[in-house]
Amino acid sequence: MKSQAQTGHIFRFTLKKEWLKLLLWLTGCAFYVIMGVVAFVEVYGDPLERQSMAVAMQNPAMEALFGRAIGIDNYTIGAMYSHTMTILGFVLFAVMSILLVVRNTRSEEEDGILEMIQALPTGRLAHTTSAILLLLLTNGLLAIISTVLLIVLGDGSMGTEGAILTGIVYGMSGIVFGSVTLVTAQLSSNARGAMMMAFGVLGASYMLRIVGDSGIELLSWLSPLGLLYGSEPFVNNYWFPVWISIGLSLLLITIALWLKHQRDMGAGLLPDRAGKRHATALLKTPMGFVLKLVKTPLVVWAIAMLLLGVSYGSVIGDVEGLLEGNEVIEQIIAADPDLSMVDQFMAMILGVLAMAATIPSIQVLLRLRGEEKKNRLEKIIAGSHSRLVIFGSFIVVSVVVVVLFQLLQSFAFGGSAVFMDYDVLLREIIVAAMAYIPAILVMIGVASVLIGWLPKLTSLIWLYVGFAFVVLYFGGLFDMPDFINGLSPFYHVPEMPIEEWSWTVTTVLSLLSLVLMAVGYAGFRRRDID
Amino acid sequence: MTKLIEIKALEKSFGKTIALKNVSFEVNSGEIVGFIGPNGAGKSTTIRILLGLIRADAGTATIFGKDVWKESVDIHKRVAYVPGDVNLWPNLTGGQVIDLFLSMHGIKVDKQRKENLMKRFEFDPTKKCRAYSKGNRQKVALIAAFSADADLYIFDEPTSGLDPLQERVFQDCTREVLAKGASVLLSSHILSEVEQLCDKVAIIRQGEIVESGSLSDLRHLTRTQITFQTQEEIKGIEEQPYVHDLIREKEAIVFQLDADHLNEFLTFIQPYTVLKFESAPPKLEDLFMRHYETVKGGD
Ligand SMILES: Nc1ncnc2c1ncn2[C@@H]1O[C@H](COP(=O)(O)OP(=O)(O)OP(=O)(O)O)[C@@H](O)[C@H]1O
Ligand SMILES: [Mg+2]
Repeated sequence: MKSQAQTGHIFRFTLKKEWLKLLLWLTGCAFYVIMGVVAFVEVYGDPLERQSMAVAMQNPAMEALFGRAIGIDNYTIGAMYSHTMTILGFVLFAVMSILLVVRNTRSEEEDGILEMIQALPTGRLAHTTSAILLLLLTNGLLAIISTVLLIVLGDGSMGTEGAILTGIVYGMSGIVFGSVTLVTAQLSSNARGAMMMAFGVLGASYMLRIVGDSGIELLSWLSPLGLLYGSEPFVNNYWFPVWISIGLSLLLITIALWLKHQRDMGAGLLPDRAGKRHATALLKTPMGFVLKLVKTPLVVWAIAMLLLGVSYGSVIGDVEGLLEGNEVIEQIIAADPDLSMVDQFMAMILGVLAMAATIPSIQVLLRLRGEEKKNRLEKIIAGSHSRLVIFGSFIVVSVVVVVLFQLLQSFAFGGSAVFMDYDVLLREIIVAAMAYIPAILVMIGVASVLIGWLPKLTSLIWLYVGFAFVVLYFGGLFDMPDFINGLSPFYHVPEMPIEEWSWTVTTVLSLLSLVLMAVGYAGFRRRDID
Repeated sequence: MTKLIEIKALEKSFGKTIALKNVSFEVNSGEIVGFIGPNGAGKSTTIRILLGLIRADAGTATIFGKDVWKESVDIHKRVAYVPGDVNLWPNLTGGQVIDLFLSMHGIKVDKQRKENLMKRFEFDPTKKCRAYSKGNRQKVALIAAFSADADLYIFDEPTSGLDPLQERVFQDCTREVLAKGASVLLSSHILSEVEQLCDKVAIIRQGEIVESGSLSDLRHLTRTQITFQTQEEIKGIEEQPYVHDLIREKEAIVFQLDADHLNEFLTFIQPYTVLKFESAPPKLEDLFMRHYETVKGGD
């Protein structure tokens, strides 16, 4: 096997440069599992409470969020864990693997590092194979850690087989999406493209699953997320999704290796478009320059948000029909007859959509730091533009993105809900989405403070976004203390269909975000450019 | 002399861009060949094909008689490569990277030799790669290459980031490996470097080799600048076919002489009393400025 020459050598070296990153990721993943098990065991010890939860979970809106309701007849802690923690966990582990694969394949190729390695007596596939080994090792460890944690921390309803199966499907979600990324890394000639394509597949899988779980079940099985979810650990312990996903990964890995073996170094299979000869007038303005930098990812995000809004919106109409005339459900949830269950779901989904819109807007701002790291910022600053103009341009574009995306999403979500005959005013939904804008701006403010004062730690913003997401997603389930919840700006936003618009919150959050942005700029103005 | 590198009728396109149309040349063992040509002529493309990094569309290329694509691993055991733009892992130190490259070469690291090279290149191996300047990153690759006991060195603009002093070190090191019997293919835009080091050159233009051979042979094809002064007034020199661009200065006459007609010219001025005679040998630069210029004209 000439093409594998020195794979072991490169793999050992890869471990040396990656171990710290992987340790941090695995710790994060372990924390996710621990948080889930402990919280469920603590909060839902009472079977009656679990059963009422089971009923509440059993409707299309909730299923769209968490996945098809499973183990409802006997909603044990295990079933509850499987139902609510699995899909989100898959996404988390998939993201980890996508980043890992891009970092160790196309990124190094794009940087020219691979050229040096392949000019040494190493096989043509050695570098990629070492990335594959790392993918398998990381997800293998993830599977083992999760299994052990579930066995140790779980209660009686979480059997060994279920724990092992859970661990394995966790690992498989990483491996499947890592394998997808191995292929996209051959298709695109740059790291950014490879990553976007892989995230695109992940996003499509997620939406396929939403639509599938709300009715057209076949679609769920076509989505790797839906397929792995179908293993139903602790409830039915089906193993066939594991076998199918192993087969799928093997196929993808084979394709990726074959493509890698055939193609030229530095080339992608998808053609790069020829660039324009001259900069357009727009590109010459700082704002236009920022827009140009982020245009493609924003278009992709916009499409994703539109689809996400429509997917959620189209299932919400079904909820009402399900609830109507079901006395048991009405009894459980309609303690306060003014609080419609559907409205509650709507509020929650609007929160999730707002979190989703946060990601691209922060990405826009972080591009400032990205350009700096690639030494391209120097040139712009050395040019005629002041730092205020540059910093300001990124902030403005990022704020505009927030407003536009919130409008777009709420319109898609509300519009399709109305289209599905759900009795709601489109205007109300759009206003509800607007209420989240100041909270997102606070996130942007925090990111700008990091860029201004702690540029090396800018990525920490994702930890904060993750935290806000956990509060939003699990805050209700886990009964977290208010002062912790309160650390997330989203927590303060009124959940509009069920709560009232609040000028106080809007004003306070907006002012806070302005202060944060100003503080960020103050730091950016005086610090060295890397 | 055995042929170390043998390239025949190489062709390569990237989409619609034709990078190589017809490239053939050879590097014999013990030789150092300069590979020169304007930007975008196809030097790096040829070198990357030689290294098995990209695949030629047509033609053959062999190193040590082995196919460069199929047997790249075997070939690379005896080849050291330095690209013009060296990028490294930002989190590792230069010393770590050098050791890694050497260990992948399957060579026991000769500590003494490595230390020696680091001293000569004035290189600090303890810094993280992200902190190195362009020239220092290039030194990482150069030190790794020269520490390896390779039979063939392939350099693609290896000194584009080095200061003049370090460039001298590079030239010394290159001469040392040549003295040990290794061969070198050197692509460079620094013509004086090529002129001082190389026995042979291959000039590539728009994907085609337009000139190749030993430097002294090529010099015959070019012109020498002659400055001379005679006591008597000289007549009829303008009419000679080997005289070009003649200028009469106050006392002297300056013109370009076809280098292979030197003898005829000497016969021509023999009857006169020569007061002053200077001849500037053709620089490599003159030799292929012609090629550079035609490209600009042709564009
Ligand atoms: N990956 C690629 N995709 C598309 N075109 C390419 C690619 N690599 C090289 N080319 C084109 O092939 C031609 C030859 O490029 P090459 O890099 O070999 O030139 P070069 O002689 O090394 O130039 P320089 O002196 O600037 O280094 C150029 O026209 C270049 O644009
Ligand atoms: Mg080049």
